[in-house]
Amino acid sequence: MKLRLSLIALVFLALSACQKKEEPIVVTSEDFHKSVDKVVEVMIHDIFSPPVASRIFAYPNIAAYEIIAKKDDKYKSLSGQLTELGDIPAPKDTENINFEMAALVAHIDLSRRLIFSEERVSNFRDSLYTLWSAKNETMFNASKDYGMEVADYIASWMGKDNYKETRTMPKFSVNSDDPSRWQPTPPAYMNGLEPHWAKIRPFAIDSAAQFKPIPPPAFSMEKDSDFYKELMEVYEVRNEMTAKGDASEEVAIAKFWDCNPYVSVTRGHLMFATKKITPGAHWIGITKIACRKADTDFARTVFAYTKTSIAVADGFISCWDEKYRSNLIRPETVINEYIDDSWTPVLQTPPFPEYTSGHSVVSGAASTVLTSIFGDGFSFDDDTETPYGLPVRSFTSFNQAADEAAISRMYGGIHYRAAIEVGIKQGRDLGKFIVDKLDMTKG
Amino acid sequence: MNRFCIVLVIVVLFVSCKKEGSLFKTPTPGETGVNFTNTLTPTDELSILDYLYFYNGGGVSIGDINNDGLPDIFFTGNQVKNKLYLNKGNLEFEDISGTAGIEGNSTWNTGVTMADVNGDGLLDIYVCAVVGINGFNGFNELYINNGDNTFTESAAQYGLDFDSYSSNAAFFDYDLDGDLDLYLLNHAVHTQNSFGKFDLRFERRYETGDKLLRNDNGKFKDVSEEAGIYGGVNGYGLGLAIADFNQDGFPDIYVGNDFHEDDYYYLNNGDGTFTESLRKYFGHTSRFSMGNDVADINNDGRPDFLSLDMLPEDEVALKSSEGDDNIQTQKMRVDRFGYHYQFTRNMLYVNQPDGNFTETALMSGIAATDWSWSALFGDYDQDGRQDVFISNGIPKRPNDLDFIKFASNNEIQKKLDNTKLVDEKALDLMPSGNVHNYTFKGGKNLMFQDTSGDWITKDTLISGATAMGDLDGDGDMDLVTNNIDQPASLYINKVGKKSNYLKIKFNYAPKNRFGIGTKVYSYHNGNLQFKELFPTRGFQASSEPMVHFGYGNAQKVDSLKVIWPDRTYQILKDVSVNQTLTLKPENTKPFDYKTLHKPTKSIFTPVEGNLGLDYTHVEDNYTDFNREKLIPYQVSDRGPALAQGDLNNDGKTDVFFGGSKFFPAQIYVQQDSIFVAQRFDGIQKDSIRENVSATIADFNNDGKNDLFITSGGGDFFGESDALLDACYLQTDSSFSSVQLPEIFQNSSVVRPFDYDGDGDMDVFVGGHTLTAQFGAPATSYLLENNQGQFQLVDSFAKHSKGMVTDAIWSDFDGDGSTDLIVVGEWMSPKFLKNENGTFTETAALDLKGLWQGIAAFDMDRDGDLDYLLGNWGTNSKFKASKEFPMKLYFDDFDDNGQTETVTAMEKNGKYYPLESMDGLTAQLVYLRKKYTSYKSFAGKTMEEIFGKDVLKKSTVLEVNTLKSGYLRNDGGSFVFVPFQNELQVSPITAFLVDDFDGDGSQEVLCGGNFFGVKPYHGRLDSFSGALIKNGETVILGAELGLDFTKKSLRHLQTLELNNQKYLLAVFNDDKAQVYTFKK
Repeated sequence: MKLRLSLIALVFLALSACQKKEEPIVVTSEDFHKSVDKVVEVMIHDIFSPPVASRIFAYPNIAAYEIIAKKDDKYKSLSGQLTELGDIPAPKDTENINFEMAALVAHIDLSRRLIFSEERVSNFRDSLYTLWSAKNETMFNASKDYGMEVADYIASWMGKDNYKETRTMPKFSVNSDDPSRWQPTPPAYMNGLEPHWAKIRPFAIDSAAQFKPIPPPAFSMEKDSDFYKELMEVYEVRNEMTAKGDASEEVAIAKFWDCNPYVSVTRGHLMFATKKITPGAHWIGITKIACRKADTDFARTVFAYTKTSIAVADGFISCWDEKYRSNLIRPETVINEYIDDSWTPVLQTPPFPEYTSGHSVVSGAASTVLTSIFGDGFSFDDDTETPYGLPVRSFTSFNQAADEAAISRMYGGIHYRAAIEVGIKQGRDLGKFIVDKLDMTKG
Repeated sequence: MNRFCIVLVIVVLFVSCKKEGSLFKTPTPGETGVNFTNTLTPTDELSILDYLYFYNGGGVSIGDINNDGLPDIFFTGNQVKNKLYLNKGNLEFEDISGTAGIEGNSTWNTGVTMADVNGDGLLDIYVCAVVGINGFNGFNELYINNGDNTFTESAAQYGLDFDSYSSNAAFFDYDLDGDLDLYLLNHAVHTQNSFGKFDLRFERRYETGDKLLRNDNGKFKDVSEEAGIYGGVNGYGLGLAIADFNQDGFPDIYVGNDFHEDDYYYLNNGDGTFTESLRKYFGHTSRFSMGNDVADINNDGRPDFLSLDMLPEDEVALKSSEGDDNIQTQKMRVDRFGYHYQFTRNMLYVNQPDGNFTETALMSGIAATDWSWSALFGDYDQDGRQDVFISNGIPKRPNDLDFIKFASNNEIQKKLDNTKLVDEKALDLMPSGNVHNYTFKGGKNLMFQDTSGDWITKDTLISGATAMGDLDGDGDMDLVTNNIDQPASLYINKVGKKSNYLKIKFNYAPKNRFGIGTKVYSYHNGNLQFKELFPTRGFQASSEPMVHFGYGNAQKVDSLKVIWPDRTYQILKDVSVNQTLTLKPENTKPFDYKTLHKPTKSIFTPVEGNLGLDYTHVEDNYTDFNREKLIPYQVSDRGPALAQGDLNNDGKTDVFFGGSKFFPAQIYVQQDSIFVAQRFDGIQKDSIRENVSATIADFNNDGKNDLFITSGGGDFFGESDALLDACYLQTDSSFSSVQLPEIFQNSSVVRPFDYDGDGDMDVFVGGHTLTAQFGAPATSYLLENNQGQFQLVDSFAKHSKGMVTDAIWSDFDGDGSTDLIVVGEWMSPKFLKNENGTFTETAALDLKGLWQGIAAFDMDRDGDLDYLLGNWGTNSKFKASKEFPMKLYFDDFDDNGQTETVTAMEKNGKYYPLESMDGLTAQLVYLRKKYTSYKSFAGKTMEEIFGKDVLKKSTVLEVNTLKSGYLRNDGGSFVFVPFQNELQVSPITAFLVDDFDGDGSQEVLCGGNFFGVKPYHGRLDSFSGALIKNGETVILGAELGLDFTKKSLRHLQTLELNNQKYLLAVFNDDKAQVYTFKK
């Protein structure tokens, strides 16, 4: 009975498909932006740390890009250019495949695999699928099949990047005997985040240590030591800001670039978290703004996202390599211990060692890549943080934005100057390397 | 008003339809006239967000305010007016609040206590208030009883009109000058950072700090500073117990603090000052300490007590609530911030003769009663043992993990910043914690049996403050709870004449008419019961000022010893049961508190200077849980090794202590009257190995002793040389190591014996674990000695697998040839019969334990050898039985090349993982995709989480008994006999057989404790050691003179110096101890 019913349904469907005229479908840059936004939204809900978030951006973008590179002669495959990435399967049904659609299918599917709350992504996907299959089932099926095939291919490459293995590696061990060594910070005193991120296979850089920065100033509470001077600078800057009040430009800058995915708050007996996007997501947001302003087509949009997200992902690998090499203590811990036990930073100190500043590194890397794509002096209004109650800030260039992101960590009271200055150089060197190394466009 | 009536009618109907409990009935407000309801109305300005204790509820007090013999009830309301109900008899009450003048003027009232403050024989009422935050105004009010059912508020006149954050108060005479002084319990409010350092408590703060107030002729004077009472900004005082804990005649104070601040244990010095002594006598305490209560639960005449916390019993609530700290945060809290060990569960502290408290809540079955406010001990069924009532519930669980992590977002933050009110929707996302109140029936051997659902029906009330009294005058103990948003509950006890009782009231002295601080020791049929009158008990409440005992079927109390607060006493003999006595001091004699308990005959006396064995073991900083995040307990802290033997050929026995990672071994050589540390390069240069066990013997028959050590430590892994066991042969001038088979693992014990009878010493080595592969069997091995060359005995391989911890060479079948018994964790004892050097496993017992040690001893004095077995004990979160063994699943669940170890235990017939969702998903990320919320994970069984097939293909280890005990040798077959509960409070790690008490026959001394567990388990630190004379007689360490409590014992050995025998006790991460003993 059931079988017969489904048979009838099938025949009916087939008939209606035959009868219906198949329309061409155009998948636009906006569709891709929407998919990226959806991933950002789910990532905020699921709470991914900044390094893990950078990985979640990179793989789906690369999958989409590789599909586009199969179609569009203007773009070159990253196969052989990214560590251990081979050629994605060749498209078979080239006549019916809509490559933009296939790229989006792959992007959505890899994103779904990487985040936790799949339902949110599946709902988004299903609404697109319904729309596409209604308009042109043949094209949809061919594109979807190819998109999924590529997603599988990229997933198997992704599966060997050591992510799974790093899950069971040891936690960062806290040892309070060494005064320079990083300690968990208030109020949640979380364990050190991702102590083995340097073991993740890098995308474009040769190794996690390729852009190893100079060591930070040696820990010392001697008044004339560099470390002490930098410590006191953080302390004084905070005090000056307090004197100026909450409306100061420094406070605005610190809050705008906070980009902390999990700030734990205790109010009364109540605990909860305020969640924002990560530094990587902020630069992905800037990429979207630039694409829209430059009115890029689908292929160039995917290209911009891909190159930026590779720079951000490698930036985190490079930065985390140094963080758990120097294991430097945060200003908040030292100031509370030696200077002022009631001092608090403007921003909540994130749970990992201080040097170098992650935001500085990835801002340096991302801005360098974006400048290479959209040019220097590309001005933009950054409204990435408006969903989190923050204002729009305007910048005359990506580099200016990156400089501000970097210094924001000093205003936030969570980094010393060395981590910021060395960090942004580390990021820019890395960004330049990626720009030079990755040969993605023709002519 | 109309609507209120309808609601009331519905509530009344609902309540009256309810089935009643077998011991308590709960008459309706309609029947009793007690319709007080503590209605909470959250507003824009005031909710759980603004005031952390918004849901703590009001107070309740029971006392006879008009001296008509019928106890009356007083309630405080948080936002509603206070009420006073006059008891008219027959469980009918009249609301006289309006005329009595007690409705109160403070915005937010909390605890209440009744006491005769002005010494006129009438109970006055002191009402605490929170003042000075959230726009709360008013002050603590003292209602002086006018004697005509009216009261006059007189707090200012007495100096008690505090406008601070008060939660409770207790009147008692701390300086024994005859009048009543006051301890005022205040609470802190949260600061932005989660906690500061412990020394905040030293800086006095008026609003938040507790106060001790001395009664100077009717004026109360703050003497906190001079008396040594802390009054800092971080004392979240919710629990207050007054009792003469150390039984010296001066009342002491225990303060239970919520959150990170330690509880305070103030011992009264008898000179007007107190010494805070928590760390000295408590190994750990409850963390979110709430109410508490004191009673003698084991009938030894000493006050024990229960401190409540908020650990859920229900699996869903448990797994979706924020639990204990992770281990590194806890270490930081202790090492860097200076706080004591605190864990999230109720703690039951059993008072020991040496002043220490043995904490037994997990073993006693009373550790998890969810969001608990008040505990009240009472002999509710009048069988002569203390039972307990625990009130429970929170309208919304703010520690719900889904709320903390997922529900909360910018929306809430914005709402917070703008309206100061939590979004209704967000509040709705917090699950309700309206868990039922609990009753427990007190049993023998420190056990409590949950009788909720039987004695009382399981309610959905939010009950807080609770008071006790005999409301219907039938002699048994009734209870009243103050409930949030529901009428107060009266629990009327129905035990009636089924069991006998005695009620004792006091008519003591003018300034303390009700005899607060009076002790009563009751003796019947050889049973002792002990009570001390301090009416402020439980939480924000005071109970009827009297003492109540139950006697079961006994018709007569042989004697009552009454010790008055002024340290005089009188004795009443042959007292009939089922009556109310009112006692006043008559023919009193001075009481000598030294005679209160029969003096303990301590057998062991510490030797000053330790005979020169100034050895302290230092454990390295390695934390197993950082690498193997899911293992049930650590393996890295099993050292140090200990061995005795002559190492310098002077004919005198020397002592070898093994090293831990980077701390070299130490050797003390015996000189004329003392041991002196001496360096032995050949041995000590090897400082990396962590030595777990050692033995000294002449392995190559050259007349000189050699040293064999086993290596462990749980840190080195793979084929690290530091994992290899070692044997150092003594040459002319030094020691040189010999080649041993390369077995890379954490070894445990080494036991030498010439098993093949060829005249040289062979060696058994126990294998414990493989680093980072907890659950994989290690390899135990037998080495045959061929003139100093060790050879692996291949035929032993079939007996080699397991997590071995100890072994003994002993002729268990009495055939004249010495056999081997091997014990270990997640395995049954292995009996290996030795037949001409070949071993056969016999006498298979299904007794899978976490065995820590074995010793041979004739427990039943029947001439054959029984075997004592040290296990984990039952006082931990572990649970195991034959029917429902504890299970350990071992596999590479996520296929990433690294194994995981998942422990599971049974609850209500199903198996659940021990670990939290965060713990499991951090290791097994694929589970995080399967469970996107805590709600979806909580309450899921092992099968649901992992799937049947996955579990089936993994290696499964089991434990089916956790009790220590002995194997009784019944003519060659062995029957396991568990020890009594006092020996199950911690793992037992060492036994030693000798005649310690000089009675000419041998006894067994044992000790234990183990700290290598996560904060979820706490610290297994309560065992004081014990002398087992035979199956019946056990003397605990607290009476023996041993200092084993709060220390983790590894070895017990006797030591001889100049023909004098000593006891040597060696601990992990602590100083070794040397005792003399009676001989």
